[in-house]
Amino acid sequence: MTILHGHSAALRSKRRREGLRTLAFLSPWLIGFSVFFVYPLVSTVYFSFMKYDGFKPPTFNGLTNWTYVFSQYPFFWAAMSNTLWLVAIMVTARVIFGLGIGMLITKIKTGAGFFRTFFYLPYLAPPVAATLAFAFLLNPGTGPVNQLLGDLGLPQPGWFNDPTWSKPALTLLALWGIGDLMVIFMAALLDVPKEQYEAAELDGAGSWKRFRYVTLPNISPIVLFAVVTGVIQTMQYYTQPIIAGKTASGVIGAGAGQIYEPGYPGKSTLTLPQLVYTLGFQRFDTGSACVVALVLFALSMAFTALLMRRRSGLITVED
Amino acid sequence: MPRITRVCLAGAVTALALTATACTGSGTSGANDDASKPSTITFWHPWSAPNEVKAIEANVAAFEKAHPNIKVKVVGNVDADKVNQALRAGGSNAPDVVASPETSNVGKFCSSGVFADLKPFLEKSKIDAEKTFPKPMLDYTQFEGTRCSLPLLGDAYGLYYNKTAFEKAGIKSPPKTLSEFKADAIKLTKTKGDSYSQLGFMPNFHGYEVTVPHLAAQWSPEYFTSDGKSNVAKDPAFKELLTWQQDMVKSLGGFKKLEKYRATFGDEWSAQNPLHTGQIAMNIDGEWRGGMMKDAGVDFEVGVAPFPVPDDQADTYGKGFLTGTIIGLASTSTKQNAAWELVKYMTTDTDAVVSFANAINNVPSTFEALKSPKLENDTTMQAFVKIAENPNSNTAPAAVNGSAYQETLQNFAYDFESGKAKDLDAGLKKTAEQIDTDIAKAK
Amino acid sequence: MTNAVTAPPVSPAAPGPARATGRSPASRAARRQELLHWIAVHSLGIAAALFFVMPFVFILLTSLMDDRQALTSALWPRSWNWDNYATVWQAPGFLTWWRNTLIYAGLGTLLTVVSSIPVAYALAKFRFRGRRIAMMLVISAMMLPPQVIIVPMYLFWAKQMHLTGTLWPLIIPMAFGDAFSIFLLRQFLLTVPNEYLDAAKVDGCGELRTLLRIVIPLAKPGIAAVALFQFFYCWNDYFGPQIYASDNPAAWTLSYGLESFKDNHHTNWNLTMAATLLVMAPVIAVFFFAQKAFIEGVTLTGVKG
Repeated sequence: MTILHGHSAALRSKRRREGLRTLAFLSPWLIGFSVFFVYPLVSTVYFSFMKYDGFKPPTFNGLTNWTYVFSQYPFFWAAMSNTLWLVAIMVTARVIFGLGIGMLITKIKTGAGFFRTFFYLPYLAPPVAATLAFAFLLNPGTGPVNQLLGDLGLPQPGWFNDPTWSKPALTLLALWGIGDLMVIFMAALLDVPKEQYEAAELDGAGSWKRFRYVTLPNISPIVLFAVVTGVIQTMQYYTQPIIAGKTASGVIGAGAGQIYEPGYPGKSTLTLPQLVYTLGFQRFDTGSACVVALVLFALSMAFTALLMRRRSGLITVED
Repeated sequence: MPRITRVCLAGAVTALALTATACTGSGTSGANDDASKPSTITFWHPWSAPNEVKAIEANVAAFEKAHPNIKVKVVGNVDADKVNQALRAGGSNAPDVVASPETSNVGKFCSSGVFADLKPFLEKSKIDAEKTFPKPMLDYTQFEGTRCSLPLLGDAYGLYYNKTAFEKAGIKSPPKTLSEFKADAIKLTKTKGDSYSQLGFMPNFHGYEVTVPHLAAQWSPEYFTSDGKSNVAKDPAFKELLTWQQDMVKSLGGFKKLEKYRATFGDEWSAQNPLHTGQIAMNIDGEWRGGMMKDAGVDFEVGVAPFPVPDDQADTYGKGFLTGTIIGLASTSTKQNAAWELVKYMTTDTDAVVSFANAINNVPSTFEALKSPKLENDTTMQAFVKIAENPNSNTAPAAVNGSAYQETLQNFAYDFESGKAKDLDAGLKKTAEQIDTDIAKAK
Repeated sequence: MTNAVTAPPVSPAAPGPARATGRSPASRAARRQELLHWIAVHSLGIAAALFFVMPFVFILLTSLMDDRQALTSALWPRSWNWDNYATVWQAPGFLTWWRNTLIYAGLGTLLTVVSSIPVAYALAKFRFRGRRIAMMLVISAMMLPPQVIIVPMYLFWAKQMHLTGTLWPLIIPMAFGDAFSIFLLRQFLLTVPNEYLDAAKVDGCGELRTLLRIVIPLAKPGIAAVALFQFFYCWNDYFGPQIYASDNPAAWTLSYGLESFKDNHHTNWNLTMAATLLVMAPVIAVFFFAQKAFIEGVTLTGVKG
């Protein structure tokens, strides 16, 4: 200690210089994070206890917004159960389909680039455009999909016009845009050591056993990653259900005297982000909108924490 | 980030949040400008179709000619949500004059104060509203005694029917009562396999304009009691309406079968509307449908009549649901006197009202304009003008939270028609409670 | 990666015993099995390709019909109305939406890249206290649904800054680093060997010069991926313009305008589908030019870490 004493002043000044340098490099984001994350978050908590219509000054109204959203607002639990459905079915379907397409693309030998491009392309379609297109394709009466189903003598579902089929229709749209998962799984599959397959083959393992005992253990972190990010994406699910609902119900843009119905048909496509919009920017019940926003916050942060858990190794925060 | 920094930051941010909200008071009245001085005002309207945009621009041009000192910046295709949002935000982008197609928002506009009270302006210009505008239109443009908007053309709802199909079915005249309507609808229905080749009437909600408020008008319902509580459980009108609708659904083939048929309909606003294509023989719709059918070139003759009424109210035949575009002044505007000149011109100048009504196939909104010889006299428009003038015609009243109460009622109606809700009395009672809760929350 | 795709890691069709003995009938059987496998895989591939491509085909065909036919059961246009595209192009507002979208996406991407690089560099290569927490906060911000903070953010831009009715409330925050871009760049910069940086410092470069001279050239693929992602994010964004720009049609973007295009009273599916394709077209074009950077970017989001 004493020997090093002479160095310590220089060391300290070097540390300080390094600290300032770090601060300088981080400064854009530190400002951004405070102004566009911390401030609005604190403000959201504040407004959740206020009665505020965006015009007259806000007044304190205790837990009114909270009890309203949880026990008196029928759309809230509908949105929660839709979210649960989407997490259980849509996320699962996407992961399985993404893995399937990823495996398929690694097996294709002729024209792989061509196939990959076409599999990937729909992922890039702007969501508004893609949803409008699907609302047209899946129009129960006149869309080409039901036309083909009818020609084949198959049942013709009501898709975006039927509460039991609207979420499956959204799932179909989500499967169409599988490109992101396909690429992630493709990369993971190519990283599986070849020797393991060869060893399994020598042991006489069939293709299912090879998948079960070689592929799956190797890519399981990626599967978990896909599931958790899928859940977080579901929390943000907004554009597709809102456009699908508006288009299918015939209420889009300025409907003269039309009753806007969030989550058409029968609340079946309602999600939490839509509630924030409906409450905050259509009903101007700022307080209740903030309550829903905080529920959304709690849910997404819980799943994010799952992603960052040190042992899961999904997103490494250390280097 | 060290803990202390974080605590400090949180504190600073909280303080920021508090100051941010402290200066969000309501706008000050801006009725101090001189309307004879040169100024530019911003006018927002909801129309987007090319012929409608052309008509409104012609209207504004005529105003500018009459008031050369006032320039009008016209912004089209703005719906009620955006109006609400922009008026609350204020600022230089915000409009001075706003036209909005959703009468149900008047309660929100008036009670929140985003629309200015027009009473002083009407007095100043010596306009007697009662003598100028039909009563139902006056009703839907005010809220709890505050007149914050005026009617700018109206819409009336009536019965459209396929005359050719009527002749084939041997029906001589359009039905006047709901029991006649039911009999005709059954007569006009032709099944084909497990579907239809022609349906008399699509009674399912979501059948385009087949909504609770549009149909309920035939019962002349009271949505609210005098003390502002929801009346949907007490006024028998709503129970009768939903019972009637269920009976219609049953007599025409049942909910499931009708829904399946409804799925084959084209878009309401397209040339493939089922009334155009002959898939249905009767429908409730607004006056604009006449022009659209003409544009679509349908190959049969179209009849128009008031929508039938309940048998015990047969003497009120001729009434219908009314609504319309409303126009008002932004309370945040600093040029309210100049802006008022535009509102006054568009809503009360007979020539302006008539030419605009002719251009966009809507019902004029003043007594003078309704009588005007310049009003285009096609039979469709005549029928709807009569419905608009009928003293028993009515509308859904404004509420402090806009159309929320109509949505709640409509949502129950969806549950009831699909069989998800079985107990009508209990359901209406719960609906009334929900409406009261929502209104209490918004007050 | 591309090479790896065309040469799959194993040839699962060749069963062990056949290879072990090497007798000719068995190897013929193996070859036949391999061919069957090839056919099976490629048939599946074609089926999947149809699923991905057919929607585009239907959209294209519908966009060329006349508006009467667009809602009938016919799948094939009875007349080819190429002028639908001219009609859409000349529709009121369409060019404005294009311009606004380009401004939003262009400026937004530029600001994001410039502001995110130094942050990502610091997080990847500097050692400082709170580095772990800073990284966790970046990830939290990345995962935060935009709707959580939208109410106060809207009030801030409307009441304090008076900038609603423009796209600035969406563009300005991008000058302060975007969490997703920072995360992605940081993941990429971790792969840059420290020896390069140390060598630069030995040569007397300061951190800023090291960043400009060494790091940025090395990180080009990562930067390209980030830029592409941000460009597409802006291009596709519907919620942001809906909140901030909806009350001023002069500030609408393509995604938002497209919805209003399919507006009340005058729905022509043929024109809507033509507009839909015109909105998709640039995205698809950019993808064909930058396919590799894009796919590497997606991989980076998930796997390396």
